[in-house]
Amino acid sequence: MVTQDIIARIARMRVLAIGLALLLASHAAIADVVAVVSAKSGITTLTKTQMADIFLGKASRFPDGTQAVPVDQVEDAPARAEFYLKLAGRSAPQMKAYWAKIIFTGRGQPPQEVRSSAELKKRIAQDPAAIGYIDESLLDDSVRVVR
Amino acid sequence: MQPYRRHPCWPEKRRCNCVRLVLAVLFVSGLWDSADVYASTSPDGSDVPLLLFSGFGTLGAVHSNNDRADFTGGFFQPNGAGYTHSWSTDVDSLIAGQVAATFTPELSAVVQAISRQGYNNTYAPQVEWANIKYKITPDLSIRAGRTLLPTFFLSDTQNIGYTYAWVRPPVEVYRLLPVDTNDGLDVSYRLNVADLANTIQANYGYKSTNLTNNGGTAKARGSWGVSDTAEYRALTARITYQYTNLTLPPLDSFFNAFRQFGAQGVAIANRYNSDHKPNRFFDIGASYDPGDWFVTAEWAYNQNNSFTGQSTAWDAGGGYRLAKFTPYLLFAGAKARPISDPGLNVSSLPSFLIGPAIGLNAALNSILSTNPVQTTDSIGVRWDFAKHFDCKLQFDHIRLGAGSSGTFVNIQPGFQLGGTVNLFSAVVDFVW
Repeated sequence: MVTQDIIARIARMRVLAIGLALLLASHAAIADVVAVVSAKSGITTLTKTQMADIFLGKASRFPDGTQAVPVDQVEDAPARAEFYLKLAGRSAPQMKAYWAKIIFTGRGQPPQEVRSSAELKKRIAQDPAAIGYIDESLLDDSVRVVR
Repeated sequence: MQPYRRHPCWPEKRRCNCVRLVLAVLFVSGLWDSADVYASTSPDGSDVPLLLFSGFGTLGAVHSNNDRADFTGGFFQPNGAGYTHSWSTDVDSLIAGQVAATFTPELSAVVQAISRQGYNNTYAPQVEWANIKYKITPDLSIRAGRTLLPTFFLSDTQNIGYTYAWVRPPVEVYRLLPVDTNDGLDVSYRLNVADLANTIQANYGYKSTNLTNNGGTAKARGSWGVSDTAEYRALTARITYQYTNLTLPPLDSFFNAFRQFGAQGVAIANRYNSDHKPNRFFDIGASYDPGDWFVTAEWAYNQNNSFTGQSTAWDAGGGYRLAKFTPYLLFAGAKARPISDPGLNVSSLPSFLIGPAIGLNAALNSILSTNPVQTTDSIGVRWDFAKHFDCKLQFDHIRLGAGSSGTFVNIQPGFQLGGTVNLFSAVVDFVW
């Protein structure tokens, strides 16, 4: 009986440890880069697919029907690589290839780029249609996180 | 008898100074770089780029172990690796520049010119895209001008090596149609329903294309087609139908010779000549690409009541992305018929016509043997070695069907119909 009790305890501890590890991992994954809109925007949530459609040029409007203007950070920005890896499962070369297909078939152009996180916040803050992404640590009152 | 041993689209052997030209264009395009001109202002106060310059290219070399024929990358190339060059830089090398102009959020235009080995063995730039696009709604647009036909699964992006894993789209499938661009109209409508994005596209137009070996001008008249692309998460599927009225002129006089042999000769001429012949093309393809790996496959059918006959072709491949390396496997096959014909029945002819009739029959069978029956097994790796650059190495093992010279051109004495050929290719692709 005692042995069984010990085994059960160990099992519970293991579950707890795994749960804690998963929590930390998921926290680490979402802590870094977040999608943001203007504080004046009516958008609060988007599904991953809705957000991907906007950033991949497949949708030009938010689900509520208002215009959506995605804004990219420069290609070398770590936030950009991480954002697209999380959003679309694609690395920087894969994203470049994706846009090459669209650009060179005359179907469209990638989102406009801004040079820095500060510029991105400025750009987002003044435009209710704009949506971008920044490192979570750089958030302030001018922009709002979209989850 | 050898006068028609060469395919109408085959070339004469000529000197080529292509590499120098590609390097020159590359240098100029490097200076050009991607300079964006911001000029107009959208209603929300943000700048809309008025002109966007961009481009792409490939530098490649291909070696064939068979020096009795040329391997080429496309229908419009006069020579390639094997007979003309042991190592050919012409098969895959190209460079393209594009200017995209946005006048208003609804109205835009694009012009793309591409320099690569053309029908006359020069690298004279050709305009691949030149059209004006008007967005009637955000999801409905119309284009007027020149576009690449969206016939094959990779058709409209087939020149941009950077956008796919392999060295080149498989020749078995991508040589099926001797027309790749269209001058006319095209309408595109996109519908997003939940996670499904569906785009239906219809085109109408005309195109004349110069053929190799002074073969005259192929004319595709009254072309129309419909293609539907569905994207659902990592899955993309496409189905296409394309009709055109095709004229391939270079064999007219040859088939007229058959007409001198009475009813049976006229029947052969009518069956095989390529003057205003309806050409029907169908293609279905899909790819699944969740990010770390991908698989893709397509099947195509082309039917033409001329010497080119009926063809089916397919390809299937996949790869696994390991950081910057993507090893891949690709398989492809083509089966055309007919590849031979009994020709004129000589037993019913007067004796002085038997000799010429046997000669014509032999020539006809030479032409039909160029309808490809072949399969290719390919193994390769793509390496994304620098920003906006990749490098690919590929090995191809090609097996020709009995009695067919496959997709090879410039067939020389000693070439074995139904044999095997190995290729090694190395390319660098870039976008800017």
